[in-house]
Amino acid sequence: MENKNFRLLDLKKKMRPGESIIQSLLFISGVLSIFITVAIVYELGKEAWLFFGNPDVTFAKFFGTTTWSPGIGHFGIWPLVTSTLITSIIAMLVSLPLGLAAALFLSEYASPKARSALKPILEILAGIPTVVYGYFALLFMTPLLQRIFGEGVEVYNMLSAGIVMGIMILPLISSMSEDALSAVPRALREGAYAMGATKFETSIQVVLPAALSGIGAALIIGISRAVGETMIVAVAAGSGPNFTFNPFQAAETMTGHIARISGGDLSYNTIDYTSLFAIALMLFLVTLVLNLISQAVINRFRQRYE
Amino acid sequence: MSKTVRSLFFVVVVAMSLLLAACGTPAAETQAVVADPTATQIPVVVEPTVAPTEDPMAMFAPDAVTGDIITAGSSTVFPLSERMAELFQQEGYTGNITVDSIGTGAGFERFCTAGESDISNASRGIKDSEKEACAAIGREPIEFRVGTDALAVVVSAENDFVTALTKEQLGKIFTGQFTTWDQVDAAFPVEAILVYGPGADSGTFDYFNEAVVAPLYLNADGKADVAAGEEALLGLEGAQFSEDDNVLVQGVEGSKYAIGYFGFAYYTENSGALKAVAVEGVEPNQGTVDDGTYPLARPLFIYSDAKILAEKSQVAAFIYFYLSNVNDNIVDVGYFPAPAADLQGAMDAWSTATGQ
Repeated sequence: MENKNFRLLDLKKKMRPGESIIQSLLFISGVLSIFITVAIVYELGKEAWLFFGNPDVTFAKFFGTTTWSPGIGHFGIWPLVTSTLITSIIAMLVSLPLGLAAALFLSEYASPKARSALKPILEILAGIPTVVYGYFALLFMTPLLQRIFGEGVEVYNMLSAGIVMGIMILPLISSMSEDALSAVPRALREGAYAMGATKFETSIQVVLPAALSGIGAALIIGISRAVGETMIVAVAAGSGPNFTFNPFQAAETMTGHIARISGGDLSYNTIDYTSLFAIALMLFLVTLVLNLISQAVINRFRQRYE
Repeated sequence: MSKTVRSLFFVVVVAMSLLLAACGTPAAETQAVVADPTATQIPVVVEPTVAPTEDPMAMFAPDAVTGDIITAGSSTVFPLSERMAELFQQEGYTGNITVDSIGTGAGFERFCTAGESDISNASRGIKDSEKEACAAIGREPIEFRVGTDALAVVVSAENDFVTALTKEQLGKIFTGQFTTWDQVDAAFPVEAILVYGPGADSGTFDYFNEAVVAPLYLNADGKADVAAGEEALLGLEGAQFSEDDNVLVQGVEGSKYAIGYFGFAYYTENSGALKAVAVEGVEPNQGTVDDGTYPLARPLFIYSDAKILAEKSQVAAFIYFYLSNVNDNIVDVGYFPAPAADLQGAMDAWSTATGQ
């Protein structure tokens, strides 16, 4: 017969005040980042709403024209967006292959001694301030490009800023990719060797696809970093909006423009002031869209190999 | 209460307390209350003493004042103000002097609208709209003429074809009516002109517009249309704008086909890599500025307000030092002295404002 006086001790419902405080604090920390993101988007949206509410500004002008000069009524966002995209694409073209190659070397081919020497040096590259990179681009990379490509290269140009941005992002990509590659279980590699694959074939066709999610995360962070980078492009890419696809020309990016204009003084309700928030919102959207696209591409490739 | 409800309760309580803390009244600035340190002492023996003659300007000596001085404005006047600030500190001033190079317009913004700066550097006269803004916050700007600038139109030292340009040619180059050098003169090479210039916040920009560009755009009354000139200058595709003249120097130095304009001091500092273009056939130098033949000679000013001079004696002391010593240093900085009458007028304005 069941003893009805026996009550099972339900530990889940036991009072543990210390635990619940800690749980709440951790929960708050997690929620805080979401809260901050929402607050930032709200602030951007509020001021950008003032910009779009201005009778001179229409979406047709914003997305349809190609000169940006709010002081005289030109509101086409495209020159800034194309410059940002071109410098970011150049940066990713430089950093992705080189970063992946460095990561592959470090995780698959390097001896432990070489690895322990190379990894800290790559970390140093990550520690260099971006303003130093900017002047490196202006004073070293641009003359180098001028020597290679001749006089068509302007003093301020998107190519040198993009290349140096790639160098800046390289340690980020290689470090994250190398972690992802190292995390791939040895059994996969050994299985490939057992099938007669060479080291290179194993690395490219077995290890790399298995580490794709980590590499994808590195790619997404690299893109976000490239799009949001301010100092390098402010110093080396140009100081006037220019709608061009020629990387040898000077063209100001969204971030560089915000930095230059807000360096002066703007009164609170002028069109120049609210236009900065519209650019910032656009920057946010571009980053978001690029992140989503990268995520979708990574997911598609992931399914094939799993 | 279930665990989830309790956690949510904690979250709400903590979030609300954070919000209240953030939105609450800002902490009042703690005013340091200085107790009177000197106890009055009654002299035991009263002696007749002769009052020593004091230099009335002693109270404005650099080591007699302290505090902070905030100046901001023209990138053209910046090297001059920076030099005077350095000298003032060398003479014993212990406080802080900040000089920001943000453009004349931005400087007036800070002086007249935000009321944050004590002295505004300007490479053009104050506009009526700016005077009104000052009046709205209770400031009445006093103009002090400190020097003269010969606006230098420069090309790279590698440029071997341009030596002289007319004002009309300059206007058309900077507004995009000429896009290649051969349009300016058939003897020049067929290459695109790379334009570098200050942005709309700069007094140099305003001056160039008024003196060179606006006369090309006449309105219905036949007068120079400043707004149309500004629009044409800013609307030029591919032109590089910066309030920081060093960026312009870099740009012009780097290309044979570039052209730019900025204050004379930036040209003299980089005269190895740059070449000054003769405007209307006249080259910029001491002689042509003095006799008025250089067409782009313009005055340099600093502005302040009588109330600031009264409240912050260090600002009054700095301006007195500035006006007394500017002529000894201005040529070294790269500009030209103001006419003696104007400098005296500035000194008189200072005397009136401080009641000396």
